[in-house]
Amino acid sequence: MALNLQNLEAVAKENAAKDPSDIIRLALTEYSNLAISFSGAEDVVLVDMAHKIGGDFRVFSLDTGRLHPETYRLLDKVREHYKIDVEVFFPAPGAVEDLVKSKGLFSFRRDGHKECCGIRKVEPLTRALKPLDAWITGQRKDQSPGTRAEVPVVQNDATFGSPDSPLIKFNPLANWTSQQVWDYIRQNEVPYNELHDQGFISIGCEPCTRPVGPGEHERAGRWWWEEATQKECGLHSGNLREAS
Amino acid sequence: MHITMVKKRKLDGTDCRKCNQATEQLASRGLSDRINEIIWAVEGDPESPGMKLGEQHGVELAPFFLVRDDQGETQVYTSVMRLIKERLGAQVSSHEEASNVDPDDIGGI
Repeated sequence: MALNLQNLEAVAKENAAKDPSDIIRLALTEYSNLAISFSGAEDVVLVDMAHKIGGDFRVFSLDTGRLHPETYRLLDKVREHYKIDVEVFFPAPGAVEDLVKSKGLFSFRRDGHKECCGIRKVEPLTRALKPLDAWITGQRKDQSPGTRAEVPVVQNDATFGSPDSPLIKFNPLANWTSQQVWDYIRQNEVPYNELHDQGFISIGCEPCTRPVGPGEHERAGRWWWEEATQKECGLHSGNLREAS
Repeated sequence: MHITMVKKRKLDGTDCRKCNQATEQLASRGLSDRINEIIWAVEGDPESPGMKLGEQHGVELAPFFLVRDDQGETQVYTSVMRLIKERLGAQVSSHEEASNVDPDDIGGI
């Protein structure tokens, strides 16, 4: 079934049980103006799968200026291992300077993470996505029972796309578990972030990421000082079960 | 044009954080009266009208907006800033637009 905005839901259902490589192949076949987002964590498997499929593909990442040294090392390792360019997008210098001047370097502890993330992460991501027709992410359902329980393998990106300039978002790993991702990484000797060996699961900026303890969900390692209930504005049944 | 805002009411009876923020962003621009209707998604009640609308339109997070134009076409907006810019004709800076997106909702990066 060829992809268009009207049949995305049907295509997502049709492909839900397919291997992530098949989803990536579909994405690369359907869209030439597409890129893989790489956060410097487990989503490295997307790069490995695209590399194995062959042909040209673009990879971009965001350097917020606050990443761990281990993440920077992985970005370079991936570049060298797969012999690809990784397009790195940086925050607008003026916006970072204004934030730091007026609120210091750790304002997110007091004011919440959205303002800092907006400057260091969302704005550069917006710039990265603006010229694209589609992107591929490492989003998985099991990453957050609150906000990601309903992630389809392909969707209309209503956050970064618009009616005039639609953007398609592929989530090839949507139905994989963390265990499946790690089995793939080990079996295929995929380079990975050294932080994972130190108990980190979800990896973001250094001040906003921590290892999680036994029994904790991986998203507990992100913005943990903000109440979980405040983070969740979910509308689906998974969220209801979580909250009740 | 008819604009419906779907908001989430939490178990403790208060509105969710993002609903509060969106409401403030509309109010601070004097645009509150451009919202024709508010429908509630009630936490713990999957049958509440807002929850059902979320399911119907494939929207995972509150708040969101349904904009029905004069031809009867309905457009879904999950970003209040985008709604303000594209349908309500008010200015939104790129900084405001970016700060309105929670990176935890984007996923994958």
